[in-house]
Amino acid sequence: MNHLRSNLWLLGLTLLLCCVVYPGFLLAVGKVALSDKSEGSLIRDAGGTPIGSRLIAQPFTGDQYFQPRPSAVGYNAVATGGTNWGSANPMLRDRVARQLGPIVKYGAGPRKGQLVGPDIEKWFQEDRYGGKSGIVAQWAEMHSGFAANWAKADPLNGAYIATWQEAHPDAVAEWKKANPEAGDPKPEDLAGSFFTGFSKENPGKFPSAVERPSADGKTEKVIEPVAEGTDIQGIFFDMWRLEHVDANLLPVPADMVMASGSGMDPHITLKNAEYQLDRIAAKWAETTKRENAQVRGEVEAMLKAGSESPLGGIVGVPLVNVLEINLALREKYGEK
Amino acid sequence: MWTLPILIVGVTILLSIPLGLYMAGVLDGRRRAPGLLRSVEDRIDTGPQDWKQYAGSMLLWNVITFVIAFLVMQFQAYLPLNPDNKGTLSPTTVFNTLCSFLSNTNLQHYSGEVHLSYFSQLVVICWKQFHTPAIGLACLVAVIRGLRGDTHMGNFYVDLWRSTVYVLLPVSTIVAVLLIVGGMPMTLEGNAKIATVEAGAMGTDESGAAKPQEIARGPVAAIVAIKQLGTNGGGFFGPNSTHPYENPNSWTNFLECVCIILIPMACVVMFGRMLSNMRHAAIVFGVMLIFLSTFIAWGVYFDSMHPNPALTAHSATSYDVPDASAPDGKRVVALPELAGLPVDQELGNLEGKELRFGTSAGPTWAAMTTCTSNGSVNAMHDSLNPLAGLTPLSGMWLNCNFGGVGVGLINMLIYLIVAVFLAGLMVGRTPEYLGKKVEGREMKLAMLALLIHPLMVLGPTGLFTALEWGAKSTNNPGPHGFSEILYEFTSASANNGSGFEGLADGYGFADNPSAPPYGAHWDIACGLVMLLSRFVPIIAPLAFAGSLAAKKRTPFTVGTLRTDTLTFGFILLGTIVLVGALLVLPAAVLGPIAEHLGPLPFGG
Repeated sequence: MNHLRSNLWLLGLTLLLCCVVYPGFLLAVGKVALSDKSEGSLIRDAGGTPIGSRLIAQPFTGDQYFQPRPSAVGYNAVATGGTNWGSANPMLRDRVARQLGPIVKYGAGPRKGQLVGPDIEKWFQEDRYGGKSGIVAQWAEMHSGFAANWAKADPLNGAYIATWQEAHPDAVAEWKKANPEAGDPKPEDLAGSFFTGFSKENPGKFPSAVERPSADGKTEKVIEPVAEGTDIQGIFFDMWRLEHVDANLLPVPADMVMASGSGMDPHITLKNAEYQLDRIAAKWAETTKRENAQVRGEVEAMLKAGSESPLGGIVGVPLVNVLEINLALREKYGEK
Repeated sequence: MWTLPILIVGVTILLSIPLGLYMAGVLDGRRRAPGLLRSVEDRIDTGPQDWKQYAGSMLLWNVITFVIAFLVMQFQAYLPLNPDNKGTLSPTTVFNTLCSFLSNTNLQHYSGEVHLSYFSQLVVICWKQFHTPAIGLACLVAVIRGLRGDTHMGNFYVDLWRSTVYVLLPVSTIVAVLLIVGGMPMTLEGNAKIATVEAGAMGTDESGAAKPQEIARGPVAAIVAIKQLGTNGGGFFGPNSTHPYENPNSWTNFLECVCIILIPMACVVMFGRMLSNMRHAAIVFGVMLIFLSTFIAWGVYFDSMHPNPALTAHSATSYDVPDASAPDGKRVVALPELAGLPVDQELGNLEGKELRFGTSAGPTWAAMTTCTSNGSVNAMHDSLNPLAGLTPLSGMWLNCNFGGVGVGLINMLIYLIVAVFLAGLMVGRTPEYLGKKVEGREMKLAMLALLIHPLMVLGPTGLFTALEWGAKSTNNPGPHGFSEILYEFTSASANNGSGFEGLADGYGFADNPSAPPYGAHWDIACGLVMLLSRFVPIIAPLAFAGSLAAKKRTPFTVGTLRTDTLTFGFILLGTIVLVGALLVLPAAVLGPIAEHLGPLPFGG
């Protein structure tokens, strides 16, 4: 009986103190003294509509804006997280290589500052890797997992393989023979033989989405064999690199291609921002019809002034808050 | 690189001394609380208890709170404070979560911002995070009373009350206010809906209108403060303290890091004070500090000072893989050469890291959160470099270097007894600890407490690895996939709660259409492991202390093994290394070490 009484007292009091009084006090502190922070550090526009939180990364894709770190969750702030990929996971290297292809530039030498992307396309169109022809076929053979992932990445890709499948009943029959109990093959099951066949029929090309005017006057996406584009620059960057190990490339700051733990990291390193600076300055110079060098100088000064280091600079490197710098850019150069 | 860990550990040591002395005063009853609080103590005091009564009261309280919390969480959809209309969770996930929060593990098979209403967060999560470390503290105080030779072990209810209200609540309140000042949300408002600066950056809905960015928030500061202080680790958000709302900047990161080890360190000070043997406590503290520092240094060296090997150059290699169907019994797997990717990794491995905490913050936290049984993270452990992944694993395998609030020191006590026993055997004397003879019964209890941990780690890991339950749940190939399984059971058994979070290990909502195929298996297995590994290593030492308390004190002679000397410190250190290595080294070789040796990447 004593025990029952003790338990009841403890239950009542701990629930009251830990779950009502304690959070209640903190809610009051937040509401009264620190309402901006306690509601999530939201940034509002002139009309009071929230346009972001200075703590939460927001996606930016336009050339005129700095871009945040990659996010494993597509910047979805109601289901946050990281990739949880270890070093041994081939997806990690593949993801980084794909990001690199379209952005990497030459370092020292006569072509300093130029993008390598066009050279990757030229190499790809010649369609020879390791002394053999058929880059796409070799890629699909070495990386059957990536080939299968391509088939699943977009319904259009799957449909493209399905169309190919109808024209190639022999490939289907062969797969069924090898997998007698599995029923009809899914597109990803046939990705390997699809890419082998595709490579033979379309040397120097890769199936990619292109936009086309559709019958009703809008644009629609279709998959077509193409000889250039970011798909080729990205997917085949790693293979190109192996055949061009001597090319002097400017290293990309790691935070540009490595995903954060929360997928919401609001910062990039100052180095990363400086790497993106040319693109941003050029775009604003174009829209404001001003001298490129002058705009570049101004943006660089804004970066330096707006950067901050952890613990006042005693640990870590200078960082830039992406949303804040982009809002400052819009304020300074955007339409009023 | 080293400034951050040195500052954090240094500041915490300084703070832990006054806190430890304070705790010894209020928990042991030498300093009494003022009027009203004292009358509460009188109402809940059921009188002096021996170890069996103490353990019985502890179990009774656990059963009652389990039932209440289960009901609240299972029926959260029908309870208030649910602005974002969270649905009903699968019973297996509720079971797992409750075992997890009952055992101070706080392993999370759910994701806070996705699965829990604010009511569940505040009533179940917040409440459990207060009273489970308080149970640890209470039991530690009881064990120390036994070692001291008191005639009884105190009263569980009074100890629980004092730990919660005089220690955890005031410290948490101070920390939580500081965290709000640092920028942490504390609100009952639902998700914020943001009109993105670039219209349509989050995509468009069916009608072509730009989608907003929805941002989950809530009463974060209240939960994070006690999460860090009580070696709990159950975060408000899925990715824990990597989330900017759960760790807004480098200052909050510093504070949260200090909070991880503050009370575990203070426990050792309290131990010395209660036994009036500060020299012995200092030796124990020193040994713990050596392990903690080693694990931090190991993690920082291999993670912040080395690039992620996924992106570096690797020469062509080939492996002979045993294959019964091949003509000569083996198959050659040839791996092509890989070029280095042009990435500037001067800050070390940044996959799964946030930038705002400082360069070495991730592995530093990883070591602290696993040496103690906290289990919160500020970087994704799954994405640590292969060898750096040994830091959190080793911390949890030993699980006694500061350890969980209260229970960490109880675990260390087991190693102390083993060390005393080994030293006694070496010099041919009956081992003694604190003037009491350690005999067969005590050693059996110590072994029971010591062996439950490796059994609960290795047994289920073996089972799940052998079956599809494990193989179909991993997010990474090869040895790293094995490490994910190993990590999960290590974390469950060490009552830690961190994870190699790629593992598909929880069912989620009851109507989850994309539930992992073996989510329920993981929920139940981890739940059982957590319960056994919580209560056996608490109850066995209680029995042990009760048994020592009843013994006559042997006189102190020149032949007595002194436990307050550097020599004893080395014996203790050696014992922990030896026992720990014997228990888990084979598993470590199959996991992180095999991963480090390659191939990298594995397959693809």
